[in-house]
Amino acid sequence: MQIKKYNGVWQAGISKNITFIVTKDCQLACKYCYLVGKNEKERMPFEVAKAAIDYVLDRENDPNFAYESVVWDFIGGEPFLEIDLIDKICDYIKQELFRRNHHWFNSYRFSFSTNGINYASEKVQRFIEKNKSHLSIGITIDGTRRKHDLNRIWKGDGPERGSYDDVVRNIPLWQSQFPGDGTKVTISSADIPYICESVLHLYDLGIHQVNINCVFENVWAEGDDLRFEEQLMQLADTIIDKELYRNYACSFFSENMGKPLDCQLQNQNWCGAGKMLAVDAAGNFYPCTRFAQYSLRDKEAWIVGNIHDGIDNNKLRPFLTLDLCTQSLPECVDCEVAEGCAWCQGENYDAAKTHTVFERATAICKMHKARVRANNYYWNKLYRKLELEGKREEFEQNKKSSNDIIC
Amino acid sequence: MKPYLQYLVILLDDTSVAYCHANNPLTERKLMPLETLRKAILFGMKQNLMIQFVYPDYELPTEYNELIETIDHVKIGREVQVLDSVPTIAETDNIVLRLTIAEFIAKQYDIAALLPQTTRLNICLTNIESFTDEQIEDYKKALATLNAVLLNLYKQAKNPQLNILTDRLQLTEMHNCEAGIGNITLAPNGKFYLCPAFYYDEQMGISNRMNHKTKDASRSVGDLERGLDIPNKQLLQLDHAPLCRICDAYHCNRCIWLNQKLTWDNNTPSRQQCIISHLERNAARDLQLQLKEAGYVVNNEIKEITYLDPFEVKEEF
Repeated sequence: MQIKKYNGVWQAGISKNITFIVTKDCQLACKYCYLVGKNEKERMPFEVAKAAIDYVLDRENDPNFAYESVVWDFIGGEPFLEIDLIDKICDYIKQELFRRNHHWFNSYRFSFSTNGINYASEKVQRFIEKNKSHLSIGITIDGTRRKHDLNRIWKGDGPERGSYDDVVRNIPLWQSQFPGDGTKVTISSADIPYICESVLHLYDLGIHQVNINCVFENVWAEGDDLRFEEQLMQLADTIIDKELYRNYACSFFSENMGKPLDCQLQNQNWCGAGKMLAVDAAGNFYPCTRFAQYSLRDKEAWIVGNIHDGIDNNKLRPFLTLDLCTQSLPECVDCEVAEGCAWCQGENYDAAKTHTVFERATAICKMHKARVRANNYYWNKLYRKLELEGKREEFEQNKKSSNDIIC
Repeated sequence: MKPYLQYLVILLDDTSVAYCHANNPLTERKLMPLETLRKAILFGMKQNLMIQFVYPDYELPTEYNELIETIDHVKIGREVQVLDSVPTIAETDNIVLRLTIAEFIAKQYDIAALLPQTTRLNICLTNIESFTDEQIEDYKKALATLNAVLLNLYKQAKNPQLNILTDRLQLTEMHNCEAGIGNITLAPNGKFYLCPAFYYDEQMGISNRMNHKTKDASRSVGDLERGLDIPNKQLLQLDHAPLCRICDAYHCNRCIWLNQKLTWDNNTPSRQQCIISHLERNAARDLQLQLKEAGYVVNNEIKEITYLDPFEVKEEF
């Protein structure tokens, strides 16, 4: 029996993520976007990127960079707006890795999250051709046209215009070039009624892996949790009844969630903020892009250094000592379904009462609980079906733990 | 027992003497109104707090002195002398010496001469943030110099107290500053602050020692009318400090103001803070070994460790 395995993150846990915020501009103005400070002015000069690369590669044995592999992330805004710059940066990285005989040579990836609009352009395609064996590209498409266009609209004045058609036309090309790569779907309050149809639509488009999560911000209305649960149950029914689980995966359904936590064995931090390094157009370093000013509503940027002075390791210490229980409220630690309840360190910081990364935001609480109920339903139903078909044992042998992608 | 609020520090004036790591940048006199002082004392009495009055360098009006004498208290800047340089002769037997690291190293023999004249000497370093690895050996040597004096005093059947060396000998658990948990500061404006440094910052327009903006620049955590309101108070507690709770430099100040200034989080100490405290901890261990060798019964044996910064070994805990 074939069961679609969830594709984990490349070299997860053993790779260093270095993120270039190449531009803060985007063609779109998505309603749920956490980037509150997008603008057309802050574009990364090549010299800044080069200095950042030199800084990192000069420190091959520094504990901050002593990882087996590296993922060079490019984000925006929309990164492909700066494809010429990106091409130049990637060329420089490759040259330097080779010239320095750096241990990351041949153990690196260039990673992109794109809105997909420029995907088929000649420049982007030329770049893909040139770097294909070292690329991960995720195109964000939110589901059906009505779900996608509800949030992912073109920026500018005038009547609202959705971007669905401009993205969906590039999906076949993307999937043909990166057949295993998934899309990332974001759920906000208004999207809830369209979750089921959207995931199924993405499957229809040939996307076999849908990474989906609720926004962490405090946007949820009364009753959203019940509507959310209902949508997930509908989705569960369809996936199981049509045996879509054989070829498709949706990150909402995971076996590793919904149980109480062990504060000793499961005390690790959820996200990698602080282990990652982001650099912006001004050459400032951040523990993750979510700590750059354009991502923050109420707090000022958490800058941990810059390309000239290097990293101030004191500013990273809070991130590298974060654990689950210290930053969580007692009710979260004691929650009977705590396992798998995610958070975003940047949102925690932005929403915190004081200037700290040790206060966990809990706006997502009731949505997590709803997800757990639907998730339990999914697995109970799937297991029973497999058992009745005599395929449970085979499933157990083949299964692979999922790896939620939340940001 | 879990720490609880025991001390009320009352800054009588904006120019009240700085007695800890932070320098007082306020130069204009602003005496706490008498009515505020009255309410503050009443608050202290009702909350069962030991009051520590922090004095300015001028004489207070008579009515202030009379009011102060209505309650049991400690006078910081008077009976506890706070000095920014090393005196030849101690005028009181309880002295706080506020020195830069370089001054401490340079004046180690003067401090050694002062030590026998006091019953308690507190060394308070005023520029911990600028401590570098290059100063480690010099700091160690200065501590060793003072250890020799302490050992002699013990041999003379005296009971010397030097906070950075002898406190650790007595401690079996963390005993830190405990600002906001064990003590709270009341400023002349009638508002509470975690410690005087937070008041100084507010008055100097530094809303937060990090580069953060705040919608409300105030650093206060309540006032005499509303009482105390400390947001995220749990983060001041030892069990919410991942590095400190695994550490045995029990005498460390664990200064939350320095934490915030250097790491931007109240519950996370800087590398400088950790290294200095561990150099002191290790020197206290040396003293303990010397005492043992001299035939003294030693309790609370301090273990040998191989690190100076617990951050480097945090995975092992």
